[in-house]
Amino acid sequence: MTLNLCVLTPNRIVWDSEVKEIILSTNSGQIRILPNHVPAAIAIDIGILRIRLNGQWLRMALMGGFARIGNNKIIILVNDAEKSSDIDPQEAQKMLELAEANVRKVEGKRQTIEANLALRQARTRIEASNAIS
Amino acid sequence: MAMAAIRREGRRYAPLLFPRPNAAVRSSLVSEEDVPFGARSISTQVVRNRMKSVRNIQKITKAMKMVAASKLRAIQVRAENSRGLWQPFTALLGDTPSVDVKKNVIVTISSDKGLCGGINSTSVKISKALHKFSGPDKETKYVVLGEKAKAQMVRDSKKDILLTIAELQKNPLNYTQVSVLADDILKNVEFDALRIVFNKFHSVVSFLPTISTVLSPEVVEREAESGGKLGELDSYEVEGGETKAEILQNLSEFQFSCVLFNAVLENACSEQGARMSAMDSSSRNAGDMLDRLTLTYNRTRQASITTELIEIISGASALEG
Repeated sequence: MTLNLCVLTPNRIVWDSEVKEIILSTNSGQIRILPNHVPAAIAIDIGILRIRLNGQWLRMALMGGFARIGNNKIIILVNDAEKSSDIDPQEAQKMLELAEANVRKVEGKRQTIEANLALRQARTRIEASNAIS
Repeated sequence: MAMAAIRREGRRYAPLLFPRPNAAVRSSLVSEEDVPFGARSISTQVVRNRMKSVRNIQKITKAMKMVAASKLRAIQVRAENSRGLWQPFTALLGDTPSVDVKKNVIVTISSDKGLCGGINSTSVKISKALHKFSGPDKETKYVVLGEKAKAQMVRDSKKDILLTIAELQKNPLNYTQVSVLADDILKNVEFDALRIVFNKFHSVVSFLPTISTVLSPEVVEREAESGGKLGELDSYEVEGGETKAEILQNLSEFQFSCVLFNAVLENACSEQGARMSAMDSSSRNAGDMLDRLTLTYNRTRQASITTELIEIISGASALEG
């Protein structure tokens, strides 16, 4: 039994194939989805999506969105998604440093929130690109 | 000397003696003030000038058509990619344009530049029709995107317009910008249902005006309880937040920004496609006009040669005997 996974962003389809199981990170923790899951609508936070197929785990960085699980069909809609193989570690590191510096120096509620978001996004990308498992 | 005097006299009476050739054709192609009074016929110069300007116009419209074609190619790919985005929402929440709501907000999407055929007028017509249909006790407000619709709607529905946004396409369209826009709209506007009016791009020659409906979370809850497509929503387990209502709220906001993104892209595609066909028919028209002007030019040229010949020959025969 496999799940049919579709990861969509506003600009393109990032992933569309059959997988064995996935691990999502939501606002209230991490969830592992196995085949024959009950239908659910899940809010996804900025974090890593882990996909298992052919005995291997793949990582993808997701920037927040929704997942809808139908009968063995998962559709994930996110603002942005990047496969770990597509992330350049040097560039991700640089972005992380920029984001950290930004967080320290911004003021104003809205900018702080935005800077924090950017920081979390940068961290997620680093995590995804550093994956070995 | 005598001949010159007769010729001068002749010129004054020429309009009476020689009725102007091809008067009907000429009056449609060359306006009266171009031809100096007392001239025997149209000067070829006038026709040549007109031909030059028509040829220039044809070149310009041809170039505009090619520019529109290349822009269309670029944006069509993105529009098709974004189509996959709102389909899951429709599958989950259903697209129910017939839901009865008190507060309707109509978001009209149009272009900023003109010369794109009739697409902006159709969008405005549909928005106005929606406004009329909604009935006496329901309020309907507008949010207008794009200069062309703004110009048309400000004229008679000024008090109903909540928000207008122009110059949408100054930077290439991307999701971040549209989501900021959606955020703005959601913050400033109270609504039960949002209806987005845009032109959906089916092919280069066909653009259909479409309405997409996005319901606010309270209405979704209400409808979910009453059953139907939305009733299935209840059977879905909802996770990832504190309460179901919070998730539904986020979901509906995300849905709005996705649908808006798709709508803006499709409208941009339709705009380029309509501009392409408008410029194409305009170049073809210019080509036709050029053909007719060429005929007139040749006729004028031959007529002036004939009159010169007549003068010379009659002058020569007058000299002889």
